[in-house]
Amino acid sequence: MSRAPEGFRETRLIDPFELHCGPIYERGEAGGKVFGLRIDDRHVNMRGVIHGGMLMTFADASFGQAAWDATDHGDVVTLNMQSQFLAPAKAGDWLEVAPVLTRRTRTLLFLRGDFTVDGAAVFSVASVWKILGTG
Amino acid sequence: MPNALTTLPPDAENISAGGFNLHAGPVYRLADEGEVRRFALAVEQKHLNGSGNVHGGLLMTFADIAMSRTARVVAGADSCATVSLTCDFVGPGKAGDILEARVTVTRKTRTLVFLSADIVAGDRQVVAATGLWKIA
Repeated sequence: MSRAPEGFRETRLIDPFELHCGPIYERGEAGGKVFGLRIDDRHVNMRGVIHGGMLMTFADASFGQAAWDATDHGDVVTLNMQSQFLAPAKAGDWLEVAPVLTRRTRTLLFLRGDFTVDGAAVFSVASVWKILGTG
Repeated sequence: MPNALTTLPPDAENISAGGFNLHAGPVYRLADEGEVRRFALAVEQKHLNGSGNVHGGLLMTFADIAMSRTARVVAGADSCATVSLTCDFVGPGKAGDILEARVTVTRKTRTLVFLSADIVAGDRQVVAATGLWKIA
């Protein structure tokens, strides 16, 4: 199975933990990117289902990329993440999300997104990010 | 706040058996402190972000592992599924820290467990978490 569908390119990752868990992929341009992950044996629990921790790590990595794009490559950190685990996804599944910037203030970003496999939502996240250096 | 853990205690039990738990861990279970269930993770290079702090994804993973294990223990169930988890990132974790997750049960029903947890590095709070588990 190819790691990513046609049209996706590998996302450039820097964080050691993201490199350890990746690769992740993206298509589209800043502000409207779709991010994807091919679930593999490293990502699953003993029942063969993707681990909640890996889902949240993919959310943090992909939303972090979206936040970085939204701030013209600013320094951003996660302040809060609310995760809902809707349905299981398994090794081999292609998981994707299009993060939505719900609101931006001078110091904060609000990002949300539904993560889908074959169009069905399996995981949903709402998060708040701090733009560093803005007081 | 508890005293800082500088090393893993000798009775720490490695609970990371395979899959992502092993990839992200290892996570250790420590002795309970009254009603508080305790877990530990020694921060390694692989757990960091580009700024040299512990990655948020790893912190949420540690919270999920510690809280899921607690849900199974208090439910007496083979398996509990995380339904929701909310994490506030209160402060940074650093390379060399031994992180401790301190989990408490808010409520248990026939089908659900409500939990809260603090992840601390000594006297520094790193994460405040609350979540809901379905008893399988």
